[in-house]
Order: sequence, then C-alpha cells, then structure tokens
Amino acid sequence: MRSIIYYVREFLRPEWLKTFFFARTAPLETPSYFKGYPARTEKECTRCLSCMMICPAPGAIAVLRKKDQWGPEIYPGHCIRCGLCVEACPEGVLSSGRILDVTRRDGTAFWSWYHLQVDDSLCMRCGNCCVSCPVNREIDPQLGATGTSSSDEVIMRIEGGRVTILHEEKCTGCKTCEINCPNRAIRVARMVEGVQGEEAEA
Amino acid sequence: MKKTVDVSIPLGPVHPCWKEPVRLKCETAGERVLRTEVELGYMKKGIERIMRGRPWQEVMFLAERVCGICSVIHNMVFIEAMEEISDIAVPPRAAYLRVVANELDRIASHILANFSYCYTIEHETLAMYLLNTRETVLDNLERLTGSRINTAYMIPGGVRFDLLPEDAAAMLADLSKVEEEMQRHTRIFETGPLIALRSKGIGVMNHEEAIRSHTVGPTARASGVVCDLRLRHPTYRELGFTQVTRTEGDNFARVMVRFQEVFQSIDLIRKCIETLPDGPVRGGGFCKAGETSYAGEAPRGELTYSIKTDDYGRVVDIAIRTPSIMNIEACVHAMIPDATSIADVTATFISSDPCVACNER
Repeated sequence: MRSIIYYVREFLRPEWLKTFFFARTAPLETPSYFKGYPARTEKECTRCLSCMMICPAPGAIAVLRKKDQWGPEIYPGHCIRCGLCVEACPEGVLSSGRILDVTRRDGTAFWSWYHLQVDDSLCMRCGNCCVSCPVNREIDPQLGATGTSSSDEVIMRIEGGRVTILHEEKCTGCKTCEINCPNRAIRVARMVEGVQGEEAEA
Repeated sequence: MKKTVDVSIPLGPVHPCWKEPVRLKCETAGERVLRTEVELGYMKKGIERIMRGRPWQEVMFLAERVCGICSVIHNMVFIEAMEEISDIAVPPRAAYLRVVANELDRIASHILANFSYCYTIEHETLAMYLLNTRETVLDNLERLTGSRINTAYMIPGGVRFDLLPEDAAAMLADLSKVEEEMQRHTRIFETGPLIALRSKGIGVMNHEEAIRSHTVGPTARASGVVCDLRLRHPTYRELGFTQVTRTEGDNFARVMVRFQEVFQSIDLIRKCIETLPDGPVRGGGFCKAGETSYAGEAPRGELTYSIKTDDYGRVVDIAIRTPSIMNIEACVHAMIPDATSIADVTATFISSDPCVACNER
C-alpha cells in the first residue's frame, strides 16, 4: 500500500507529468559557426583562381563561365568543407559559416607564390607548356596560334632550344603546363603562407 | 602460430566490440587464455604514399584523415614538425589556442575510449551517458574551429581562427557542465561493484612489462611509467602541466587514468582561456627544405612524424609512427595471457584503447 501511494505521488508531480507528456528533442538548427559548403555572395569574381589553387580536395571547385560571368562552382561530393577557398579569395566571393566575417575582422589572409621548375634532363623542348599556358596566350595570342613568340612579357618561352622562365610572378598556379607536359619535366610548386594584420593588407 | 592446445578462438575481424577490423587469435585451455596473437592489416590506406610530393596545405588534411578520433593532434604534430624544419615562430596567442583545440580533442577521444570500455563490459547506461557528454565537447570544438572532427585548425605560423570573447565565455560555461557530468560518471565507474568485478585486477601489466613492451600514453601511465610528451612541450610547460599516474596497471586503472586526464584537460583549457595573451594568431612564414623527426602526445600516446621537405615546402618523404601499435602488442603479450575468461579478453583489449585506423594509415 505504501509503495502504491509512493508511486502515485511520484507520477502526479507536475514536473514528471510535464516531462512525460511534453518531452521533445531539441530542434535541429545549424549553429552560426558551422562550416558548410561555400556559397556565392553578390561580389563579382575576378577570376584570379586563388580558390581553385588552394583547394586541397581534387575536383571540389572550378571557376567556370556562365553567360559572360565567371564564378566559382563547388561540387559538394568532393568538397571537404575546409573553408580554405573562402579565406583565400581576395574579393570575398565565397562565404561559409562565419569564416568570411572572422577573416575580415581579424585581417587574416593567405598569400601564395608559385615557382616553376623545369628539369632539363627530362625536358624534350616540345614547348607544350608555353603554348598551353592560359596566361601566355592572353599576353601573346600569337603564341597559341603558331607556337613561337618574341614577346618578353610571357611567363615562359622556348629560347635557344630551352624553356626559359621570364616572369614567374605572373603564374596563377593552374598547373595546365604540368598536365600538358608529356614527360612531367615542368613542375609548379605552390607555396602558401598564412598572414595577419598589416602584412595581409599590403 | 604453433598449436599447443586444441581450442584456438578467433576474435574478429568483425566483432561487435571492435570499432575497427582487427583479429585476435586466442589459444585457450577451457576458459583460460594461454597465448594470444594479433593480426592487423585489414584496412591499409597508404596515406604516407599519397602525401609525398604535396605541399603542406594538402598534407595537413591528409594527416588529419589518418585517424578520425584524434585528428587535431595529427594536424598539430605535422604542422609543428614543418615549423621546426622552417624555423617558423608561433605567436603566443596561437600557441595557447592550439592547446585549447588539442585538449578538447583529447577530452572527446578519452570519453570515446571510456564509452567503448563501458560498452564492452555491457554497462551500456554509463556508455551512453558518456557519449552524451562527448557531444557537448564536440560542440565546443566546432565553436572554436567550425567543424567537429577533421578541423584543419592549425597552419604553419599560427591557427586559422581567433577565439571570440563571447565564445570563450560559452566554452567555459559548457566546460563546467561537462566537468559536473564527468564527476558523476567517474563516481559511477569508481564505485560500481559490478564494474569493479569486471575491471579490478584484470589484464594486469606491471611496471617492468610496461617498460619492456614500450607502451605509451594512458596505458603506460596506468602502470606507473613516466611518459608524457606534454611535459616537454613549451606551451604545456608554461601552463604547469603535470602527468597523471596510477600504479595498479589493470583495466580499472587504465580507464581511471583517462577519466582523470579529462579533468586535467578541462583545467588546462580554463587556464589557457584565462591567461590568453593578446596579439595576432598568425605569424606567417614559408616552409623550407629540411628534415626532422617531431613527436607529440596524442590521446593514445607518443605520435611521431619524420618528414623531409624540398625547397618549396613540399613533402619529399614522410613516415608516421602512431602510438597504438605498441599498446596493442603490449596488450596482446602482457595483459591478455592468463586471463580467466574469453570475456575478459575483449574488455582488456578495448581498455588499451586500440586505434586500428592510426596503425594502418
């Protein structure tokens, strides 16, 4: 009898009845700090390819042209949501979670340099690298058409039967030369540095 | 293995208590286990081969994917090895934030290991309580870095995101909640008579055996060995870190060491947030050519990265030594033999916190 009274009293407590009848799991909501897949903002893409060049996952991001406008395209199956592209973009074209706000507030950025390296023992002087390079073609359209160039403004050209690198600083690191080289003689080294403050604004 | 008795019982590679595929072959006489042998190699990934020829911003992500449970320390050891090669200095604020991320990850890993042990000895209630607490810890890791696991938080010369003051306050509030819950869970574990029957005096590894078998991490610390690389890490020394040691060397001690280290990690995070220096979180600096071997304390023990890089910071050669391989071998050769039942073999094996993903990277 005492135990029955105990249980009746226990189960008639308002807190117990409230939890029993109105128990709910917390609503599923995405916190503001969650790093999702990067999404486009309204900013215009300048096609500097920084996002593509820093991306660690193969095939996760590509800068594509849609109706005369260039813009990054994210492939969610390949993207690992690391957020490096959001931090690397100088224009703020991509946004993921609050990375863009935090990066702006702290003044953090990534600087990248590219170094071109030609292994002379592997190079067979075919010139594919010079012809395929998209920056070369933009500077000197003739280079893409005939394969020879006298312009000094291009990144690299064949001079005296050898690949000569003239303007390394113009390289955007797209690795088109590396893909088109039949012998893997040319290699692009991407060097990245994380900076903050005045350095980042310079 | 040469057969000395007629019954040899295989455990695994698919076993409800194993989180990852590994096979134990036990030679038994009745219920008594005479000898055990371990068979690894069911999930080789070849990550070290994929890492070669890649710059740090790609290898960083691969290093994290060696092990999902302790991903932050893989990132940290790789990045600190690259910093040692290239003489990059870390700003003090970034060094403290690294400790915060690393200790949050350690708490999550230790709670998961203890969950696993409780689950193996069929104390599912405590196991689920522990997993529930782990969620709060992972939420805080997400608050700091943006993702629960595989955070990619550290880069050469600093960390990626700063800790906001309101986030720091929320983190401290959550940590008090975690501490309160963990005190309750530890009390349940410490005073449970049935847990003691399954844990105390089982799988004993004494001090000499622990040293001879080169165990590392909480497994060694439960046998009274002084081995914690955090004692040598400059930031941890500033924070006044002292290691947790127990002397029993049984399953109970190994789980209790992890419980105690959770409280210690909570204290370290509190100390970090309270004394967080001002300043930038990124110092910059390029990776250069060089060769080094750098070790750090993972939740399971000593983790070593031997790296060789070229002039542009690309990894030429890399070798990773993860802690679990020593612990698994020690478990098989020192703890399990003379177990009085097959049920103790699974419990003992899980108490040494084996991480097969680390071993077979």
